[in-house]
Amino acid sequence: MSYISVDHLCKTFTVRKKREKGSFFREKETVHALKDVSFEIEKGELVGYIGPNGAGKSTTVKILSGILVPESGNVTVGGLTPWTDRKAHVRRVGVVFGQRTQLWWDVPLLDSYSLLKDIYRVPEDAYRKRLDELTEALQLGDLLRTPLRLLSLGQRMRAELCGSLLHSPELLFLDEPTIGLDAVSKLALRDFLQWENREKGTTILLTTHDMEDIAALCSRVMVLGHGEKLYDGGLQEMLLKYDTKRTVQVEEHRNIDHVIADMYRDLGL
Amino acid sequence: MNTLRLYGRSMAILIKSQLQYPLSFLMQTVAQLVMEGGEMLALILLIDRFDRLNQWEAGDLYFFFGLMSVSFYLTEIFGRGVTGNFPYMVRTGQLDTVLLRPRGVLTQVLCSAADPRRITCIAVGTVSLVIGSNLSQIDWTLPKILLFAESIFFSFWLILGLFMIEAILCIHSVKSVELANTLTYGGRSACEYPSDIYPRPLRILFTVIAPFALVMHVPASAILGKPLYGWPMWTAFVTPLSGLALFGIMYLLFRKAMRFYRSTGS
Repeated sequence: MSYISVDHLCKTFTVRKKREKGSFFREKETVHALKDVSFEIEKGELVGYIGPNGAGKSTTVKILSGILVPESGNVTVGGLTPWTDRKAHVRRVGVVFGQRTQLWWDVPLLDSYSLLKDIYRVPEDAYRKRLDELTEALQLGDLLRTPLRLLSLGQRMRAELCGSLLHSPELLFLDEPTIGLDAVSKLALRDFLQWENREKGTTILLTTHDMEDIAALCSRVMVLGHGEKLYDGGLQEMLLKYDTKRTVQVEEHRNIDHVIADMYRDLGL
Repeated sequence: MNTLRLYGRSMAILIKSQLQYPLSFLMQTVAQLVMEGGEMLALILLIDRFDRLNQWEAGDLYFFFGLMSVSFYLTEIFGRGVTGNFPYMVRTGQLDTVLLRPRGVLTQVLCSAADPRRITCIAVGTVSLVIGSNLSQIDWTLPKILLFAESIFFSFWLILGLFMIEAILCIHSVKSVELANTLTYGGRSACEYPSDIYPRPLRILFTVIAPFALVMHVPASAILGKPLYGWPMWTAFVTPLSGLALFGIMYLLFRKAMRFYRSTGS
């Protein structure tokens, strides 16, 4: 069996809308965030997960990491079901949300990390070793005594990444990790992710809108739209399949974002 | 043991965070003093005017007031994660972070906040307790000291349990602060006075539903030597357990509710 196996996963949300004039009850709408999604990921893979806003990417990540409970479907990660064996599951998982901080805002990074060590029950020597390794790879050495709130976005992202990897997870979820980063920080982050994947064998699932991230990191891509999986396979094959206009308008400069936009249009998203 | 250690370290970090803004911390602490001092002033004026309330004399009333102040604000200092932060964590999706870590949800919520500014409220409560103890000439024997400690300990769990009602409701995305406040802040204001001064419906509310009377008034009245409702002394050692029972029920409901947590953002 594969390391991650997702089988017929469904998740719905009920959205209560503002009451309309003249009607007594508020209208309720059921949103199908995920409709029967299935896929498998092997250990050590680095998979890109793309799709337009609201496609259900974050919902998938939240179910896989044990935050949300789905309506139906089976999920196992390394033999455990995330939402029933939450504590045992999250011990092996690291998650980075690009838009949200998980460290303590007003205290130096080192204090945050040391508290994380206690939360995850990491032995002292393993923690020292891992922290040294990560601070070097992420170039955090000078920042360890600075409070999080004084860091720039790029620095903060690296700090977050270090925090999520201190307990040496075997699986890492990244939800738009390069959002808002400058070119230098982006490149550094990509290098690091490649290093972590290659050296430690960490399985990585990367959610992003930045196609450069995908092109640089992932050999396999999954495309999600309206809660359904629309494509699963190699990046090159996907680009060839959907880049229909390239042959017609050779002179026009088209980057990868154009191709993706065309693809979303073709898929009716 | 490990959990307590984690709690201690979390508190250290939180206090460190608050002291990053020393002036703000100082001013808010003083503001708390003025607030709780005002509450006590109301009691002083009342006693000045009426001397006694039913069989309760001035010293007794100070004692009841002090017990409530100390218990309630201890809960607000150490239980701030539940009493203040939780609805915010749910609304902004910060609870995600809690769920991503291999520790109990409630443990982490309690570790996530503390409110040391309330220390001045506790100081006011302590002063009131000392005045009450002197005026009523309490003879502090060992059983009475134990009873006092027990009452405060279980009051903490009772008040925390009552605050969890709001936490449970807000997971189900219900904004019903008023309903929950009736029992928490309403209970605090009402039960600064012994429950037997109230009419029957309120007495039942504060004995059976939100058992402030069982956790605070029964032991306090036993310490004062004027048993509430005329119950024998030994009952005072048993009734405070109801505070923990209420917390236990709320904890189970809370665990059930967490299945419905739906996260927000990103």
